[in-house]
Amino acid sequence: MAESHAVAHAAQGTGHASIKTYINVAVALTILTAIEVASLYIPGIPNWLLVTALIVMAALKFFLVVGFFMHLRYDSNIMRALFVGPLIIAIAIILALMALFSAFILLPRHFS
Amino acid sequence: MDHAVGAHAVHDPNIGNTGLDHRKIGMWIFLGSDCMFFGSLIGTYLSYKGKSLSGPGPHDVFNIPLTSYSAALLLASSLFMVLALAKLDENRVKAAAFWLFLTAAAGLHFVLNQVYEFYTFAMHEGLRLSTNLFGSSFFVLTGFHGAHVTGGVLWLSILVVLALQGRIDRRDYTKVEIAGLYWHFVDIVWIAIFAIIYLIP
Repeated sequence: MAESHAVAHAAQGTGHASIKTYINVAVALTILTAIEVASLYIPGIPNWLLVTALIVMAALKFFLVVGFFMHLRYDSNIMRALFVGPLIIAIAIILALMALFSAFILLPRHFS
Repeated sequence: MDHAVGAHAVHDPNIGNTGLDHRKIGMWIFLGSDCMFFGSLIGTYLSYKGKSLSGPGPHDVFNIPLTSYSAALLLASSLFMVLALAKLDENRVKAAAFWLFLTAAAGLHFVLNQVYEFYTFAMHEGLRLSTNLFGSSFFVLTGFHGAHVTGGVLWLSILVVLALQGRIDRRDYTKVEIAGLYWHFVDIVWIAIFAIIYLIP
């Protein structure tokens, strides 16, 4: 019922997930956050691996919230473009500023 | 009446020729521009990272357990927000008001945690806006995020009052959804700040 409701709304750009899906997403967000914090206290993880893992987990959480809680997964392509376009520019701004100031956190010092 | 407008617009002035709600499109445009704003602040923080000439540095002052708790609060508030919308969609306005209240309360708790964090940094750790590059970039980035959360708490509080007064029902779903979009946005910005600023060594 809830899923067919979501599909019906999707055609108008106003769809959303079921409550069960929301709970599942919240559980996934909680587990990812717990792993993020716990990874800081595990000794011996190489810096590059820790940084990569933290960025990947944060990106997963980011897209879970945007896709399900903000309903972008069920919304129209126009809404998606309005958000994803500036998001790409924002990431480009971060990378450009880091390049300008030689501050690449993933690379060893002699490359930065 | 302007006969050039589409059929949807005749029934609902908020729906344009695309079949989409203008208010929702406006909010997504705002959120897109806010992405670039926070992208600039995060980029500046990362550019200054490790370049302060004097202390204290990030790992002298950060309280990871407190910040993790704050992150959990915002994530929980996002769940409360979608539950409020789901209840409003069922036209259970009082239940929607309850979840909206919990959302605003979690947001307020987050802001109070941040006030405590800023106070501790300034008064006990000697880190202020002008202490070093870390201080200026950290306070500006997290301060603007905190201001966004505060604005969201006020917006949600107004919705709670309107719902309790019976001035919101299922027909106002889009108005509440737009407030929800803003609220989830402050959550995703915190997801980025929490990982990039607090957790990455």
